[in-house]
Amino acid sequence: MGGIPSSYIVNRLITLVLTVWIAATLIWIIPRLSPVDPAEVMLGRMAAGGAFVEGSDLILEQLRERFGLNEPRWVQYLLYLRSIITFDFGLSAASFPTPVSSLIAQALPWTIGLMLLSVIITFIIGNALGAFMVWERTPRVWKVVIPSLMIFTAIPPILSGLLLMYVFAVQLRALPLTGAYGLTVEPGWTMEFALSVVEHGTLPALSIILVTFGFWTLGMRGLMITVQGEDYVNLAKAKGLKPRYILYKYMVRNAILPQVTAFALKIGLLVSGQILVERIFSYNGMGKLLYDAILDQDFAVIQGVSFIIILMTAISVFIVDLIYPLIDPRIRQATERTA
Amino acid sequence: MTQLKASLLAGTAFAVALTGAVAAQDVPREDTVIFDIDRTIRDPENFNPFTPGVKRQHGAHQTMWEPLFILNYESGEIEPWLATSFESNDAQDEWTVTLRDGVTWSDGETFDADDVIFSINMALENEGLSEREPATIRAQVASVEKVDDLTVTFSLNSSNPRFILENFANRIFGSFLIMPEHVWSEAGDPATFAFNPPIGTGPYTMTSMATNRAIWDRNDDWWGAASGFMDLPEPMRVIFLESGGEENRAQLLVSNQMDAAQAVTLGTFEAMGFQNPNVIAWFNDLPYAWPDPCARQMEFNTTVAPWDNAEMRRAVAMLIDRNQIVNVAYEGTTQPSRTMFVQYGAMDPFIDAVDSAGHAFSASADVEAAQALIEGMGYTMGSDGIYELNGEELTANIHVNSASSEYTRTIDVIVEQLNRAGVNARAVPVENSVFWGEVLPLGGYEMSYSWLSCGSVNEPWASMNRYTNASVAPIGERAPGFNNTGRWDTDATAAYTAIVQDMGTMAVGDPAIPAMVAEAHGYLSAEVPFVPLVQAAKLLPFNTTYWTGWPTAENNYNHPAFWWGSAHQIIHNLEKAE
Repeated sequence: MGGIPSSYIVNRLITLVLTVWIAATLIWIIPRLSPVDPAEVMLGRMAAGGAFVEGSDLILEQLRERFGLNEPRWVQYLLYLRSIITFDFGLSAASFPTPVSSLIAQALPWTIGLMLLSVIITFIIGNALGAFMVWERTPRVWKVVIPSLMIFTAIPPILSGLLLMYVFAVQLRALPLTGAYGLTVEPGWTMEFALSVVEHGTLPALSIILVTFGFWTLGMRGLMITVQGEDYVNLAKAKGLKPRYILYKYMVRNAILPQVTAFALKIGLLVSGQILVERIFSYNGMGKLLYDAILDQDFAVIQGVSFIIILMTAISVFIVDLIYPLIDPRIRQATERTA
Repeated sequence: MTQLKASLLAGTAFAVALTGAVAAQDVPREDTVIFDIDRTIRDPENFNPFTPGVKRQHGAHQTMWEPLFILNYESGEIEPWLATSFESNDAQDEWTVTLRDGVTWSDGETFDADDVIFSINMALENEGLSEREPATIRAQVASVEKVDDLTVTFSLNSSNPRFILENFANRIFGSFLIMPEHVWSEAGDPATFAFNPPIGTGPYTMTSMATNRAIWDRNDDWWGAASGFMDLPEPMRVIFLESGGEENRAQLLVSNQMDAAQAVTLGTFEAMGFQNPNVIAWFNDLPYAWPDPCARQMEFNTTVAPWDNAEMRRAVAMLIDRNQIVNVAYEGTTQPSRTMFVQYGAMDPFIDAVDSAGHAFSASADVEAAQALIEGMGYTMGSDGIYELNGEELTANIHVNSASSEYTRTIDVIVEQLNRAGVNARAVPVENSVFWGEVLPLGGYEMSYSWLSCGSVNEPWASMNRYTNASVAPIGERAPGFNNTGRWDTDATAAYTAIVQDMGTMAVGDPAIPAMVAEAHGYLSAEVPFVPLVQAAKLLPFNTTYWTGWPTAENNYNHPAFWWGSAHQIIHNLEKAE
């Protein structure tokens, strides 16, 4: 594969499988450390709803049977491993008998749409601003304006969401307050639906972009400062290369590698969504699914969502590991030496 | 993998799942009423009301499925709806219900006794129907028989004067819903049947469902209007919309994009009123809020010293200033509890009887009398202002569910009150599932904040029966039905139990009951297995910009819980604003 030794790929593949297996085992163990099981939680929910729960012992026994909680723990674990390999995370306790995989499938496209767009825009804007903060040819006024934009990073996304909501949805009535599409718009491959999705996604996306681009800006700025004093940059300047050429080919290209790693991790994590942003905008993506599942103590959903997050992160890291040698010849050479 | 792939395709295609739905046509805002739902409709394609999830309160049991009866919280009357009357035999273990003539399902099929018989038998035969209502039917009903097309008779496992109230009258949240036999008999396993598209007898049919909203459009051929039972409701369309939290629901109401919202805090309500004068609540002034059926209280574990001593429990009850809890923790939006009961109009005769007998709890504290009781038990005040006995401080650990600031704020006030009076109290916040799954049912607490008296709304037995000695389980074992989790089991409990069990055999509305309630409550007030605190506040904002006729303390045709099955009455009472 593009000169990458097969042993390197196999090593990374083994790491991927081990990571997913360990993580999957942990997310199976952790909920079981709780003194209560999902059946007791469901019964507790009925009691919390008010009044006497008639036949509670019988209900508890039936629920345990249905969720396989009467099986020995090791049987439960093996059944769990078998089911996650087929992406069968069982049935939701709070929305019984809906399969968890169908809840995830419903939520995933919304989150990927919102988060992917936000993360890509944020990555581009953030890194560009970070690079310009260091570049000596950046106009002075921008060197003042860009750092002051960092104030937005201190704002939690939920607050920026509320602020944007107040200005654009309540005062200006320019954008909708809530939901992923219009109240009476029917989902489908229609222009009306597509426009409605874009209109409804604007505020949630803006609230994420506004508060997260600083992460990339500050990271890039630090990396650019390191690169700025390198001999090869000075040599390029001495050779009389164009400043823009030096910026893109010598500085940014070298500085951006750790940012790409961080980007890959973000891509993996983006399936978890922005829990609070999704909640306040009633945007029914993965973040809100996870939020509701935690409130409902719906272990099957929590496990399913967590597994997807872990899997996506591990795969992203795996892909980056494969891409790295292609971007950076030093890594390729080291890999070849090891091989 | 195949399953996920299929699911992903379904999810990505958005519309595929909804192909059965009729496209939502535009209906003018002034003909549409918009209600708030506080949960996501996770499974919008599933309308099986006998399994957990948001499958009823998104409008299904407020607009599409109708109940047999609706309990009126103000009058205490059980008002007829799909059924016209009920009666029992003398032993009250056989109940006969007469159904209304002329009722049809929205697909034109007749609603009759066959549907009732089928639905009840389905609950009896399928343990997989795990919601509260089918489980209650399984616990209470032995068999059901058809007398004629409009009459059914239920044979119960034991005498139960409250059978109709507990199962068919929307006592709290909902009641057992009758399903169409001609659809469900073809369904296969009723526990996994999605019932999509759903049908009902109500004046609305489902138009469109998504995870964050449900649209119901008026069926102008509704049987009720055709038979003269009732006029068609005025709203052409009813929408249940997930607002996304208190901030959003406030903005939606202020901007007239919503007509009825879930509970908000006082600050939010006042801010809404400032921006939109058409926003109203149950009361015009403080406390504004309608009391939720589950009044708040503090339980004692009566097996743990020193709280196994009734004098010590009484002392704590006297140290608690309920007025202060109302003012500080609830900002004036509720009222102190006088007894164990929720303070609805229908409960007044029982509350008044307890009050007249001198057994009601005072709204204010009596610290001196409480301290005298504590000192009578041998405690002396230490130099640090905390009582001691044999070198040991008097401590009180109060378990509280950390899921809501309402709970923790209340306990914070009580902790402060107890500390000032010489009891070294502290709150023990516990995560929601552990609290309800372990702490309460297993009796794993000294004191705990809860609402385990919940049950009575128009008669006293449902709440009182939760503290009899029939429900006492050893510590560490599960208290049946979350009853008497504090394991109150003394001679007074036995005397209390005898009265409550007698009461349990008497018809609802028997004139002898108030005096019996007063006598039984006397044992509770003397031994204090739990301390009634305050009424639970539900501050529900309604918007009168487009619709009037909302339930209020002045227009009290029933309570304002619009997510309950009784909300049919609310929708029928709405009138277009002038």
